[in-house]
Amino acid sequence: MISNSRRIVLPGDLLSTNPRTAGYGTFVENGKVYAKILGLMDKSETMVKVIPLKGRYIPSPGDVVIGVIREVVSNGWNVDINSPYSAFLSLTEVEIKGRKPNDSLDLDDSIIAKVIGIDPKMKVSLTMKDKVCRPIRFGRIVAINPTRVPRVIGKKGSMIKLLKGELGIQIIVGQNGLIWLSGDRKRVDIAEEAIYIIEREAHTEGLTDRITEFIKSRKEGKENE
Amino acid sequence: MGEEILMDIKKDYVLSRLREKERIDGRKLDEVRPIEIETNLISKAEGSALVKLGDTQVMVGIKIQPGEPFPDVPDKGIIITNAELVPLASPTFEAGPPDETSIELARIVDRGIRESEAVDLTKLCIEEGEKVWIIFIDIHALDDDGNLMDASALAAISALLNTTVPAERFELGDDFPLPVRDLPVSVTSLIVDDLFLVDPTRDEMSLGNRLLTITTDKDDNIVAMQKSGSYLLKEEKFYELIDVSVQKAREVRQILKEI
Amino acid sequence: MSEFKSSEEIKLIVDGKRIDGRDFNELRKIKIEAGVLKRADGSCYLEMGRNRVVAAVYGPREVHPRHLQDPSNAVIRYRYNMAPFSVEERKRPGPDRRSVEISKVSREAYEPVIMKELFPRSGIDIFVEVLQADAGTRTACINAATVALVDAGIPMKGLITSVAIAKVDGVLVVDPVKEEDNYGEADIPFAFLIRNGRIESIALLQMDGRVTVEELKKATKMAKEAVLKIYELQREAIMKKYRTEDIEE
Repeated sequence: MISNSRRIVLPGDLLSTNPRTAGYGTFVENGKVYAKILGLMDKSETMVKVIPLKGRYIPSPGDVVIGVIREVVSNGWNVDINSPYSAFLSLTEVEIKGRKPNDSLDLDDSIIAKVIGIDPKMKVSLTMKDKVCRPIRFGRIVAINPTRVPRVIGKKGSMIKLLKGELGIQIIVGQNGLIWLSGDRKRVDIAEEAIYIIEREAHTEGLTDRITEFIKSRKEGKENE
Repeated sequence: MGEEILMDIKKDYVLSRLREKERIDGRKLDEVRPIEIETNLISKAEGSALVKLGDTQVMVGIKIQPGEPFPDVPDKGIIITNAELVPLASPTFEAGPPDETSIELARIVDRGIRESEAVDLTKLCIEEGEKVWIIFIDIHALDDDGNLMDASALAAISALLNTTVPAERFELGDDFPLPVRDLPVSVTSLIVDDLFLVDPTRDEMSLGNRLLTITTDKDDNIVAMQKSGSYLLKEEKFYELIDVSVQKAREVRQILKEI
Repeated sequence: MSEFKSSEEIKLIVDGKRIDGRDFNELRKIKIEAGVLKRADGSCYLEMGRNRVVAAVYGPREVHPRHLQDPSNAVIRYRYNMAPFSVEERKRPGPDRRSVEISKVSREAYEPVIMKELFPRSGIDIFVEVLQADAGTRTACINAATVALVDAGIPMKGLITSVAIAKVDGVLVVDPVKEEDNYGEADIPFAFLIRNGRIESIALLQMDGRVTVEELKKATKMAKEAVLKIYELQREAIMKKYRTEDIEE
């Protein structure tokens, strides 16, 4: 009878007896579908999946990530992307054309990059040949639980559009839970607070409205300072 | 969930806020995080305390048993302090025998208690030259969000204040409360260029580990001091730090008096 | 350092009740809290009678040195450690042979249950510290480690729940206290894989002492009944922490 309820499930909880509907976060045994992680069950006629509430970031091709250069090697850089797996950015994946000549990458620099893929040895390869990619020279980086990133982005980007629109700042969200903010300091402060609220209340109803309210009231408050 | 990458990422932000004399958690430069102290949680121990200094958590347990005195001080009890920075407390701690950081921490906590004579060791003699009470102060780090030093020292004195010497168990008379007559408090600051941050958090430690710890007794005497980390300290800064540390220690001592 | 010189001097069962007043199949009081540490990926504080333990999980994370990596699976590590102040007579810090053995059998309970093939070349570390001990610390630690693993988002086939059965004065009892453990005739720690409220299999099994085959079977049944109660408490602890996320209509 319940077609779209969302409740917290734990590993081993029985979700469905139809193995063909097994989606993310589930496993099948003896024709039954069970949860394999802690999360929110999302069940419909055609699929049952578990939306994770916790977990380290595991890279996927196409992900935008924010990382820190850990090592400079002869053919590129080893990058920490806050994942159990370290990443490598090859020299050939950094576009020289169009960038200032001394915009080279050093140890401890932060960068916005994109994941190309993971090889069988679990080495992640990155590229910076995409317009969203860049070295981070200013602004602020905020870290949240990577499982909350989809909510910060929102359905069809609705939440991130809201933040950018209301605050007039630049925001780039890394799938690995790191988010780059740049703009007026006080607006960035508001954005950071809003992001922590989204992280905490990611799966509750009416979040978008509450965030809109929050931003508006903070903006008014700050203007009166 | 704080790994090293988060430290690096915070570094620039921490610094940029510092330029405006602000800390990222909103504290003033000389402000100590909120402190919570719970005592007597481990009934098997003769005394115990859990201290929360912001998100840093340390537990100290006191165990007491009779033993032989040191030959040169036949009429005094013995204090032995040890610290375990167990891997549970931080992604950077590894299992194994104490490294130089845990050894340093234990010795500084020990110094504060010993030099302030917080425990009157002459009252811990059972039979001169033969038997005295040995007090084990065991520091167990549970969550490292910076400044385990001050959290440990606070937990140690809090535990001692609620310790009972288990004489009955050893058929050496009646149990009695451990006589504690001073309240040593340590204050640790992180030095960043020209500024110092009292009670640094883990994020702030991304700027380096230039620390100065000053321990004072209830009369504002300095009973222990340690410069930790590879750096050079200017004299004027040093004097400034002494004043701030004495003052902050007084504030923390108020909390101790209430437990 | 017990007051009793020998087991003849104390009666562990008097008038059908145990030394602490419990019934034979009664568990000690249990308190479980999930997510108590900031640095760890998952954590749990647990009390079982006078046992007090805290568990932390880190991972999946990088494994160093590289030769310890497994190309097809995450490497699971479990470290059981007792704080020096956790027992009557101060314990020297560091692993002793007993801790090494407990760490091994506990790890072996989790290895078939954690889906380690999902994270090749990484490590999942489970650390459990005993802050106060009163018999059954290994079972308390496993119960806490399970909650910490769930809290860390580690994929598993189900939950691992643990309890010990002891034989005292010829009677089988659930979840022994120290006196029952020291002066009883047998101590049998169990851990089970529980899925959806049902016991699937045994994940840990040890025995110390002497029992008949019948007694062992009965002990197993008693253990199964007891762990289901603990399982509910483990679930509750997680639910309590994540309750704000639940939008059950």
